[in-house]
Amino acid sequence: MVSKVLVANRGEIALRVIRACRELGVRSVAVYSTADRDSLHHELADESVCIGPPPAVSSYLNIPAIISAAELTGADAVHPGYGFLAENARFAEICERVGLTFVGPSSRTIAAMGDKAEARETAARAGVPVTPGSDGTCESAGEVKRVGAEVGYPLVIKASAGGGGKGMRVVESEAEVEAAFLGASREAGATFGDGSVYVERYLERLRHVEMQVLADSHGTTVTFPERDCSVQRRYQKLIEESPAPGFPEEVRDGMMEASERLVGSLGYEGAGTVEFVYAEGEFYFIEMNTRLQVEHPVTEMVSGVDIVAEQLKVASGGRLEIPPEALTPEGHAIEFRINAEDPGRNFLPQAGLVEVYNPPGGPGVRVDSHLYAGYRVPPHYDSLLAKLIVHSRDREGAVRRGLRALDEFAISGMETTLPLHLAILEDEEFLRGGVTTSFLAERTLESEGGLLRLNKVSV
Amino acid sequence: MPEIEENPNLPLGEVERLVELLRESGVGEILVRRGETEISVKAKPEAPVAQQAAPVAQGVPEMVEPETSPEMEGLHAVRSPVVGTFYRAPAPGEGAYVEVGDAVSAGQTLCIVEAMKLMNEIVADVSGEVVEVLAEDAGGVEYDQPLFYLRPEAG
Repeated sequence: MVSKVLVANRGEIALRVIRACRELGVRSVAVYSTADRDSLHHELADESVCIGPPPAVSSYLNIPAIISAAELTGADAVHPGYGFLAENARFAEICERVGLTFVGPSSRTIAAMGDKAEARETAARAGVPVTPGSDGTCESAGEVKRVGAEVGYPLVIKASAGGGGKGMRVVESEAEVEAAFLGASREAGATFGDGSVYVERYLERLRHVEMQVLADSHGTTVTFPERDCSVQRRYQKLIEESPAPGFPEEVRDGMMEASERLVGSLGYEGAGTVEFVYAEGEFYFIEMNTRLQVEHPVTEMVSGVDIVAEQLKVASGGRLEIPPEALTPEGHAIEFRINAEDPGRNFLPQAGLVEVYNPPGGPGVRVDSHLYAGYRVPPHYDSLLAKLIVHSRDREGAVRRGLRALDEFAISGMETTLPLHLAILEDEEFLRGGVTTSFLAERTLESEGGLLRLNKVSV
Repeated sequence: MPEIEENPNLPLGEVERLVELLRESGVGEILVRRGETEISVKAKPEAPVAQQAAPVAQGVPEMVEPETSPEMEGLHAVRSPVVGTFYRAPAPGEGAYVEVGDAVSAGQTLCIVEAMKLMNEIVADVSGEVVEVLAEDAGGVEYDQPLFYLRPEAG
C-alpha cells in the first residue's frame, strides 16, 4: 500500500480523500493556498504545506510547488481529486518521472482520452457506438459541410481539447456552417490553446447517462450500474441519480459492455467514467473522464463500495475485490450539488462568511462538505459548497428523503442552490423520471411566497 | 513610514477583522496561524473563569496574543516565495550567506530555497540587521513561511 498520499486539491474532495486515507491507515498531506488557511482539509490532514497565493494557477495548479511539497513531506503518492490537475497528462507524467505514484491512469491514457476527437476514434475502434459525425478533427468549414451532407442537420461543432460547453456551436443548416466553424475554433483556441474541432450530429431531447468503472493492473475491470446526470444547467450537472429512472435493461447492458470494451482496449487503471448520451432508444459515447467524479458517492451509496479506497488500493498495485452483488444497485440514490450561486439572480456566484451551517442527518443521508459555521467561502475557486446524497429503497423514497433533508439543510450568509433543488423535487416531470438535459432550460424560476417554483415554458 | 493598515507584517487589520467576525458569527473562538504568528480571538466565556483581564461587557470579544510577535516590535520578516528546501550557504561546506548580527542591504542574497532542482536565491527586500534565522538549514519551508527577521535600518 502507498504510505503517504499528498492530496493535490481542496474543498470537499480533499476531505473525501483524506477520510479514505485515514480509514486505510495511510498518512495524508494537504496542500493549501493562503486563501485556504482556515480550511478543513488543511486541519484534518496529518500534515499540510502552504503551496502558494490564492490564484489557482499559483497554488493548486502550480506543479513545481506540489511536487516540492511531496518531496518535503516524503509523500509517495499523489491523489489529484477532480478538476485542477486531475486530467493534466503532464502532471501525471512528472509524477511518474519523479517516482510518485499518481492515483489514476497513466499519463498516456489521460492524454489519449483528453483529446476528445482522438477519444471518439479510440471508442469507435473498440466497437463503442459514437454519435454519427466526423472521423477525427475537421480542418475546414468545407469538411463540416461534407459531414452535414452525410449525417444530416442539426450538427454540433465541438472543441477537441474541450469540455464544459466551451468552443461548442450548434449548426441548424449548411448556411450557418462557416460562421459557427470559425467561432468554435476561435473560442477553442482561446480557451484551450488548441483550435481543433470535430463535428457530431446534434441530438435533441437526450439523457446524460454515465458508467463508473474501476480497473486494476491485473486485468480486472468492473463496471457499476449507471448514473443519470440529465439535470444540468449550461452543461454543469446539478442532480445525479442511480439507477437511471425507467432505463431499459438492454440499454444498460449495452452501455456496460461498451464501457468494458473501451476500458479494456485502453489498458486502463484506476477509476474512470464513460459518458454517454441516450436518445430515442440509442446510446452514443461522448467522452471518458479519467478521474474520480464529483458524483461518485451516488454509486457508492447503491453499491456499498468505497471508490476512493479502491483507487488507492489499485494505485498500490493491489487487486480489486468487488463482490458481484455490489454491481446490482441496492435501492436508489440521488445527489444534489449545493453551490454558492444565487438561483434568483441568474446563478451569480456567492462568497463570504458562512453564518449558520446545519447539515441534515438521519437515515440514508450523506453530506460531503468542507463547510463549518464561521468559514469564509473564498471567491477564488469552484462554487461547490456541499453534496447532499440521499439513499432509500426506491426512487420515491429517495425523493421524499431528499425533500426532508434539503428542508433541514441550513446555510446562511449567502444564497445557494438549495431552494432550486426543492423546486426540482416538486416538478411533476422530474418526479415521473427520465427528464432530458433541457429540463432546466425549458423552465423558468419563479418566486412564490419566498419559495422557488419551476414553471414550464410551453414550446 | 508606511501606514499600519498597509504593512502586511503587522496583522492588526486581521485582528480587527477577526474580532468583527467573532462578533458576527457568535462562535466562541477563532484561531489563525501564519508562519510563526498565531492570533487567537475568544469571546468572553459565559461561565465564570479566572481571568486576569478586567471584566468586559458580555459578548465583547477579548483578544489573546499567545506569543508576542516579533513583527509587532518593528521587525521585518523575509518570507519564502516558494515551497522547497532552505539552504543558508551557496554550496555544501561553504560559509552561510548571512549570520545573525550581519548588516544586509536590500537586494543582498540571504539564502537559497531549492524547488525541483532550481536554486532560488532569496534576497533581502529591506536593508537592515539580521536578527534571527527562522528556518533550519537543509529543512523544508512552505510558501509564505518567514525565513529571517531583519531589523530595518532607521530612516
